[in-house]
Amino acid sequence: MNFGFDDDQLALAATVRDVLRTHCPPAALRTARRPSWDQLAGLGFFGLLLPEEADGLGLALVDVLPALEETGRACLPGPVVETAVVAPSLLAGVPKLASGAVCVGVLPPGQAYAADADLADLLIVVRDGAARVVHRPDLLLEPRRGVDPARPLFEVRYARSEPLPAPVGPALLRGTVATAAQLVGVARELLSTAVAYARVRTQFGAPIGSFQAVKHQLADVAVAVEFAAPLVYRAALTLETDAAERDASAAKAAAGEAATLAARVALQVHGAIGYTEELDLRFWLARAWSLSMAYSTTAAHRERLRVAIVGRRP
Amino acid sequence: MDLDFTAAQLAFRAEVRDWLSRHAPPPLPSLDTPEGFEAHRAWEAELAGARLSVVSWPEEYGGRGASLIDWLIFEEEYWAAGCPARVTQNGIFLLGPSLMRHGTPEQRARWLPRMARGDDVWAQAWSEPEAGSDLAAITSRAEPCPGGWRLYGHKTWSSRAAYATHGFGLFRTSGARHKGLTYFMFPMTDVAVRPIAQLDGLPGFAELRFDGVFTPESMVLGEAGEGWRIAMATTSSERGLTLRSPGRFLATAARLAELARDADPALADRAARCLVEAEAYRLHTFGTARRLMAGEEIGAAVSMGKIFWSELDLRMHALALELLGDQAGGWLDGFLFSLAGPIYAGTNEIQRNIVAERVLGLPR
Repeated sequence: MNFGFDDDQLALAATVRDVLRTHCPPAALRTARRPSWDQLAGLGFFGLLLPEEADGLGLALVDVLPALEETGRACLPGPVVETAVVAPSLLAGVPKLASGAVCVGVLPPGQAYAADADLADLLIVVRDGAARVVHRPDLLLEPRRGVDPARPLFEVRYARSEPLPAPVGPALLRGTVATAAQLVGVARELLSTAVAYARVRTQFGAPIGSFQAVKHQLADVAVAVEFAAPLVYRAALTLETDAAERDASAAKAAAGEAATLAARVALQVHGAIGYTEELDLRFWLARAWSLSMAYSTTAAHRERLRVAIVGRRP
Repeated sequence: MDLDFTAAQLAFRAEVRDWLSRHAPPPLPSLDTPEGFEAHRAWEAELAGARLSVVSWPEEYGGRGASLIDWLIFEEEYWAAGCPARVTQNGIFLLGPSLMRHGTPEQRARWLPRMARGDDVWAQAWSEPEAGSDLAAITSRAEPCPGGWRLYGHKTWSSRAAYATHGFGLFRTSGARHKGLTYFMFPMTDVAVRPIAQLDGLPGFAELRFDGVFTPESMVLGEAGEGWRIAMATTSSERGLTLRSPGRFLATAARLAELARDADPALADRAARCLVEAEAYRLHTFGTARRLMAGEEIGAAVSMGKIFWSELDLRMHALALELLGDQAGGWLDGFLFSLAGPIYAGTNEIQRNIVAERVLGLPR
């Protein structure tokens, strides 16, 4: 029993964090579609989970969880989970995947629109339990309204596609857990942003963070994040077991709820200035909402958990 | 990072499960009744006979020198087997760790083995009528006398004090708010005890009056003036883990999931949620144990755990009552006990202040 990350896993996260700080600052979220992707590719980020014969490092998902949290913390745009986590299980044979030269999008089951499909060189479409891959020239995209300005949604049509023979379920579960890790990162960043603001914003002659009504809301966010994260870590460790689906749902539901609570409280703590397009906070609010709906909504995961744990009503 | 138990840990789990399956008693009368108190004490002696009452303590004090992980395994098995509440818990989980850290070799040798067997049962004496959440406001005092100290004052909400043999708590030895407090142990013999019935009608609390109660120098824990530091140090180390182990909540959540099997999906959803949260607490605790075993202190983060498990316990028992209606029966004891969780060991309002100020760094 050794339930904590090792030095290598944390060092990888620290490296990713440094790159994102420099190359994906909040200002970049307004101007670029894929800030810092080149630098991450240079680190080998997109090959971390690929086997060595595909020029990857052959790491396990748990090894990259802290790094994925960092991509959430930075609100990194683009189909990161899809390209770095889902694609390696389904498209390991695609040349240059490890180099980051191929950007991959995913349209998971239960979702009408594909996020970030405008960036995708290859789009994996999962319908009726089977996956097909569509090449960029064959894609016809219609923008659809979504909540996250840095994670746009598209209705997808295509005339030509190729079937993917590999079973798609395990890859989607990995994407679910990776998204949950990003949500933990989003929640942590929302919490620290709100705490920083509560320390400096003064009203009635005192920092608003000294008022118990504010303190207790922020403490509740800290508790929610603290106890969501271990469920995400577990889900990465049980991917190859019978509990994989159930644990992935627990991870995604808890992380989604923690992040949406963090968003709600961060907005409340900021007050009117938080309710503006000008403040960078809006990107993290939107990411909490958009990722909590990705790879099935929180409600869908809660329902799966109910059936898995309590059973169906006879 | 892994979630794997070693062969030795699996063997320990099997041993505990086997022993409990043969020795776990049928439900005992409440430990807040005279006959229940004695029955729980006898159970502690039986556990101690198998060296299972305090597995993580050193062997010389009645334990097995087991790791925190083993202790967590023991707790999972203990509560899954439906075993009795621990009448010794103030001693073994609160005073014991403080003695281990701050006691003299003589104090440890004298008190710990007796505590581990339930020979002595310890009551805690922290709160006073005017010092609850503001614990450092206590006014009960100790005055030096030949051979020891005389205790004066008034303590209340003292758990187990109606039947306990000994007590421990903080008394003022000088005026300084925190540094004027000293940690005393004392025999209950000369303390005037007025039992106070709790919500269940049984005397789980008592009020204690000290009118010059003598306690020898050998029952002072640490130096005079160190009481606050000692009490708080224990709170933020092992006790964060030992106050309420995940095993108890996992067992409750598993029974609740069973109870919800034929229930409306909205209620069943809440039951599933509770089980996942109990699992989250378990996983989180394994992470904390890893850090403690590596020599780290967990500090104020303990408060996050206390908020989480106490409010989970409340939700679980409230749900059980909704599922069972007027047939809640034995769940009522757990329900009433769960209501105490957000109050004892520092109210959850105080815990949220601690999280906000000492974990998040918000201004006081």
